[in-house]
Amino acid sequence: MTFATSKFRAFLPAATFAMAAEFLMGLSDSVICGHVLGETGLSAVNLMQGVFEIVTFVGMMVTVGSCVHFSTELGALHVRRAHGYFTLGFFASIAFGLAFAAALAVLRHPVLTAFGASKEVTELASAYWVWFLPAAMLEPLAFFLGTLAYADGDARLSLFSYCVQLVGNCLVSVPLTIYFGAAGCAVGTGIGSFLAIVVLLFHFCRRGCMLGFSRHFSVLPDLLRIFRTSLGDASKNVGKAALIFALNAYVIAHFGSEMLPVLAVVVMTIGISEVFDGVANAAQPLASVYIGERNSFLTKRVMRAALRMALGEGAAAMLVLLAYPNLILMMAGVSDPTVVPAALFAVRVASIALPGLALVLLFNSYYVFIGRETLATLLTLAAVLVVPAALFPAMGSAWGARGVWAALGLAPLVSLAVFAVYEMVRWGFRIFPFLLQGGRDAALRVFDLELDPASICLASAGVEKHLLQKGIDAARASKAALLVEEALMVVRDRNGGRRTLAEVTVDLNDGLTLVLRDDGEIFDITDADASVSSLRSYLVSNLMTAIPNRRNLTTTGFNRNVFKL
Amino acid sequence: MEIKTKSEGSTLTISVSGRVDTVTAPELEAGLKFGDAKCVVLDIAEVPYMSSAGLRLLLTSHKAMLAKGGEFKIVNVQPSVSEVLSITGFADILNIA
Repeated sequence: MTFATSKFRAFLPAATFAMAAEFLMGLSDSVICGHVLGETGLSAVNLMQGVFEIVTFVGMMVTVGSCVHFSTELGALHVRRAHGYFTLGFFASIAFGLAFAAALAVLRHPVLTAFGASKEVTELASAYWVWFLPAAMLEPLAFFLGTLAYADGDARLSLFSYCVQLVGNCLVSVPLTIYFGAAGCAVGTGIGSFLAIVVLLFHFCRRGCMLGFSRHFSVLPDLLRIFRTSLGDASKNVGKAALIFALNAYVIAHFGSEMLPVLAVVVMTIGISEVFDGVANAAQPLASVYIGERNSFLTKRVMRAALRMALGEGAAAMLVLLAYPNLILMMAGVSDPTVVPAALFAVRVASIALPGLALVLLFNSYYVFIGRETLATLLTLAAVLVVPAALFPAMGSAWGARGVWAALGLAPLVSLAVFAVYEMVRWGFRIFPFLLQGGRDAALRVFDLELDPASICLASAGVEKHLLQKGIDAARASKAALLVEEALMVVRDRNGGRRTLAEVTVDLNDGLTLVLRDDGEIFDITDADASVSSLRSYLVSNLMTAIPNRRNLTTTGFNRNVFKL
Repeated sequence: MEIKTKSEGSTLTISVSGRVDTVTAPELEAGLKFGDAKCVVLDIAEVPYMSSAGLRLLLTSHKAMLAKGGEFKIVNVQPSVSEVLSITGFADILNIA
């Protein structure tokens, strides 16, 4: 297993669990209100789903762009610029949270009136809305800190914060909902967000924490850059919010409020796709750094692993729900015998969307990473809004409510097919689907190894042979080989018997650049003044003096050393 | 790695070919048996690469010969190995012809 795929897989459980926790957080209020207040409570919270999506959208508008630019700048070894993006994102998420909460306070009455739901449902939704304002204010900051701590390699703390938020929300919301109804549930959500922020502040105490504040940013240009990058990724939430608003209105108008519980389970089913965003999130820290290094070869390697994983997760979720659709009904608390048959059918049909949505979400994030935000936005809006919004009224007219659910199931596949054809025609089959020009690949060579003497010497000899084949003079080739062997042996000695993976990149695109990456103990091997304890460390120290153009930067929690030879 | 030895009177010439790295250094170490030789000549014309593991052997061999009043000479050093010896300062310690 290569360093890149191994790290991707190491990030995956935390990223997937974090997304599952986030999905469950979004779901938790529906579940709590559904079970405590009955199907009216479920319908009321479901009316709020659009608002939840916008809360996520607001958080993402700041977070995604900040995170991508932070990682990419670190990849390019621009630490102060990376800190600038962090600083800007941090304060923007606070400002946006406040502004959004203020906007929600004003919009409550007109939006709820526009739905035209029954009086009982509207009253519950209204009470929930008022007490949801603190959560709407805090959530963007919680999301920002969680994502940036994760991108900085602290997957465990990020995951723990999600767990604290979820468990805290549930523990507080249940009793509050029993005593205060939907309003109590909303208060619990805000408390969960606050607890998550408190937990995430501990990341700043971590050794190797690369998050920091600096004044190296220009508010307006950098904020616009962040928004532009975020828009591609956040578009899925605004698209979903718009679709849910449209579906609510369409279903109430054509099939009545009694069909809302079925719509709620369909929204939950499609909402599972949020978990698949964990795949893109697992790939993001590494992919962004590789993109910052302009290493197309390793970027594609990570994304291929992500592609396989996304397809697998999507297909597995679909199969589970085709076989056991009642899982969703149980979660939603739907048990009314007049609703259950329609809901079971709806879950099965909607689950067909899941593999397609997994791919849409992955490529959405990926196109954002590589700076094709417009393509990301168009693909996502097509899959989550335009195509389903075009299909569901047509299929709803032809086959009733069943047609609506089927339209939602088919929409992602239709969108993917259209975009695949478009991309192949526009950019050619050769670089589809990653859209990276392969020109730099020819001058890139990567050696993956688990640190033991034999594999280190093999990599060292491989580097030398490769450089000689590429016409590099023997002295430089030998120096590069020596650096690889000695530096990696020092890393190995430093980590004792612990299994340590490393990756050596030889980049001949702009001169000779050597990148050594390892997942061992964090230390700066480029420090020429480091203490010398052996002949090997003495040689490494002298080599560092002989290579003035060198840099060490802890990136995504791993050692990264860059040498220009 | 290939190691050839030739003895002429009290002079022992050891010719080495191949990379001297962490893995191959023990092989070279096993081949560096000096017996009663008063002068040992290490010919590394065919050694294009030497890491610290090789340097350690050069240093211990040099010290061992000095201890018994003998001489340890290194000849035909390739530029790439010569640079390593310079970087480490070994060029000033060892007897390089």
